[in-house]
Amino acid sequence: MKTLVTLTVNGEERSLAVEGYRSLLDTLREEAGLTGTKKGCDVGDCGACTVIVDGEPVNACLMLAVEAAGRDVRTVEGMQAGPDALHPLQEAFMEHGASQCGFCTPGILLMAQSLLERNPDPSDEEIRFGLSGNICRCTGYTKIFDAIRTAARRMAAPPADASGLEAAE
Amino acid sequence: MTRQDFRIVGQSVKRADVLEKVTGEGLYTGDYAPAGLLHGKIKRSEIAHARIVRIDASKALALPGVKAVLTHADVPRVLHYGSPHPRSASCTRDQYILDDKVRFWGEGVAAVAAISEEIADEALDLIEVEYEPLPAVCDIDAAQVPGAPLIHGVGPGGNLVIPPVHVERGNVEKGFAEADLILEGTFEGGRPVPTYMEPNVCIADWDGSNKLTFWTSTQSSFMVRGALAEVLGLPLNKVRVLVDHMGGGFGAKQDLFQHEFLCALLAKQTRRPVKMEFTRRETFVAGRSRHPFRLWLRQGFRKDGTLVARDMKLVFESGAYGSHSPGVTNVGTASATSLYACENVRLNGRAVYTNTPIAGAYRGYGVVQTYFAIDIQMDEAAERLGVDPAELKLKNAVRDGDIAPSGHPIIGDGLPACIREGITRFDWAAKRAQPREHPTNPAIRRGWGIGCEMHGSSAYPGIKEQGNATVKMNEDGSVTLLTGAAGLGTGAHTALAQIVAEELGVAFESVSVVHGDTDVVPWDIGAFASHTTYLVGSAAKMAAAKVRASVLRRGAERLQARVEDVDLVDGRVFLTANPEQGITVHEAMGPSRGIPAEHLIETASYMPTKSYSFAAHFVEVAVDTETGLVEVKHVLPVHDIGKVIHPIAAQGQIEGGIQQGIGHTLTEDYVIDRTNGRSLNAGLVDYKMPLSMDMPHIETVILEAAPDPGGPWGAKGVGEDPIIAIGPAIANAIHDAIGVRFHHYPITPEDVLKGLRAKEETTNAGL
Repeated sequence: MKTLVTLTVNGEERSLAVEGYRSLLDTLREEAGLTGTKKGCDVGDCGACTVIVDGEPVNACLMLAVEAAGRDVRTVEGMQAGPDALHPLQEAFMEHGASQCGFCTPGILLMAQSLLERNPDPSDEEIRFGLSGNICRCTGYTKIFDAIRTAARRMAAPPADASGLEAAE
Repeated sequence: MTRQDFRIVGQSVKRADVLEKVTGEGLYTGDYAPAGLLHGKIKRSEIAHARIVRIDASKALALPGVKAVLTHADVPRVLHYGSPHPRSASCTRDQYILDDKVRFWGEGVAAVAAISEEIADEALDLIEVEYEPLPAVCDIDAAQVPGAPLIHGVGPGGNLVIPPVHVERGNVEKGFAEADLILEGTFEGGRPVPTYMEPNVCIADWDGSNKLTFWTSTQSSFMVRGALAEVLGLPLNKVRVLVDHMGGGFGAKQDLFQHEFLCALLAKQTRRPVKMEFTRRETFVAGRSRHPFRLWLRQGFRKDGTLVARDMKLVFESGAYGSHSPGVTNVGTASATSLYACENVRLNGRAVYTNTPIAGAYRGYGVVQTYFAIDIQMDEAAERLGVDPAELKLKNAVRDGDIAPSGHPIIGDGLPACIREGITRFDWAAKRAQPREHPTNPAIRRGWGIGCEMHGSSAYPGIKEQGNATVKMNEDGSVTLLTGAAGLGTGAHTALAQIVAEELGVAFESVSVVHGDTDVVPWDIGAFASHTTYLVGSAAKMAAAKVRASVLRRGAERLQARVEDVDLVDGRVFLTANPEQGITVHEAMGPSRGIPAEHLIETASYMPTKSYSFAAHFVEVAVDTETGLVEVKHVLPVHDIGKVIHPIAAQGQIEGGIQQGIGHTLTEDYVIDRTNGRSLNAGLVDYKMPLSMDMPHIETVILEAAPDPGGPWGAKGVGEDPIIAIGPAIANAIHDAIGVRFHHYPITPEDVLKGLRAKEETTNAGL
């Protein structure tokens, strides 16, 4: 039997009819049409499905859609401020080559966004620890660390700083 | 190749595919959901070796929502190959889509299509299978015992996948007679799996004209097309294979998988689109691993360190099917002719079937195993001869003109250049002069090691490869490249677009890439063997050169000049003597009322031979003598890859390869219970990979020391090299730290503690 679940996804209120056993991940991908969030293991091991729920990073495969009712969910599709305005993390991931196959990328971007929201100036060790639940098998992580450091620096810079256009947003 | 004035090649331009990845817009196979989609699932055996006596799907078929069930009685009985390399010896036809026999624990025995995944899963439990167990052989030894149970009725006899490979050069006995030092050892390796982040997934859909459209996460879409067409009895133009973004493959997604055939057949029977998506567990059980191996190696050295003889016997464990074992056995065996030059070699390689999951293609393809052994034994020789290991490796490193494993002369001194550069950059001598004791923690010992490798770009001579590309000049001056090369995440399409832009003389941004549709793009052999930039890059350069010639001809006409007096740079045709006088490519194309004056589309084919890339990895480890834990602290990889097309992408290949190689060497092993063939750690928690907390400081150095005339401006491959060099470098560094030699991977903390204890006992006994 399906339940109507109302939640906010990337700032938009959505009402979705889902079975009680349906995960937030499957619901986002199949009912909400948001396939940017990836399924790498479906058992909470890989972090590819990381989304932000009420400000906290969550493995969407481990949360039922009904548990997300009334809550605020953010996915990779909601990171951009506008069509041509990439988030500083997205921009930095492109510049540094922090994404290869890209399957882990949405989850890592959301985890990094959550990290920077809690800790705008993380140390190298804090970045490593922050990503310890996200598996990337392509990059060796080095360029991901570089990208997060770059994004953190730009996001901390005052809006007038010319080092990055996105800092002016 | 000698050109210096590069505008686009050599720049880390922004990868177009990455924009789609960071925004979440990029579509991977599993993101497609055609209307009316059914979900397919596979019932897997829970026994390693058995005959199916009875299989009854009636209860499953009666479950509401189930649309089809297939067992071995319902599918075409066509013997096919798992490794679909065309025109090559590396094919073993030993698989049926479904058989009345199972050969490994986890092999598919039936398939279901239902309206939801949950119903499909429920239906699997309702399929009744009665087995007659057969004795299982679950390791290399059991498979080779005379009279061992036979897993297949095909092949050259016993449990051999192919006739043994034998390579001999010079006179080994004479070589050993001249040796002052002879070393002998046996090396072994476990079962690392590629663990790409995107589990295998495909979608099949048939239309009214009996044409199959097939989305699948594959590195080799044309091989998938060929094998599906053959098994299903269709002409090639009735099978359209589509793949856009891929979540990694690392070699393993070259194979034709059982679920791909079953998905197509379920869709055919139900006349509805069917999706089959592996669980993470299935990527282990039904995926492909590196070949476990055992290698006996004997080498002779003169007092001055010259290597004079090498004798090797190598056995690969293929698992239940042949897959890539023919190729891996040939490549792994032949690779021992080289790396460290030796005139007298005698090499034997074989692959054996066992009742375990299938070993297939995986980054490093047989060479990882061979060079792990050879490089470690070279380190031992240095120790016994009392010389520096880096110096001994430099002395014996293959050089320009030495014969490569492919039989070709090696071009350039790439390996010596890498070793020399690393010795300087790593400050090798000064590091090794330090005490092994940690300055503050008495439990820790430090060590420094070097590991070397070489690897071919292209699978020649095993496969006579062909790279193809089509380049179109649109009437507004923009350019479209059509390629069959898969975008498995390496950035290959960006490199190809750079090559086209550079050769043609237009901006990088004006080149777009169309790929991943076998009905549209030129034929492609697949993205493997570190060859896409080398092979398809050369074809793309050739096709771009043809288009350039036409644009120059048209531009010269418009400028009323001779073609030899005009040039084309940055999308502008101009008089070489007077660059101010010129026109845009758009103007040269002369569209009138939207119709171009000429349709410019050019295709080129390139048949490569072989080039070799080289690397030396310098590593620092810290070994905790109380816990046995090995931590890789610092890696300085030095790679010669010829002309670098995209520096950041090349670095990314190297750093990612090091990550996987550290895992294989220290923690990763997909463990099979040798008594019954069951998987023991098929999941991401129990299969231990290096993650963000485990990665060392990596200081990547890329040299353009030995460009290859066969690649675009001398470019060579890079994908596989890093995973080969890092393993022996770590093992050698561990020895440097604690004085214990390991001849196997993974080297676990338990192994380190056992090794330390054995060393202590030997020392005590000596007192």
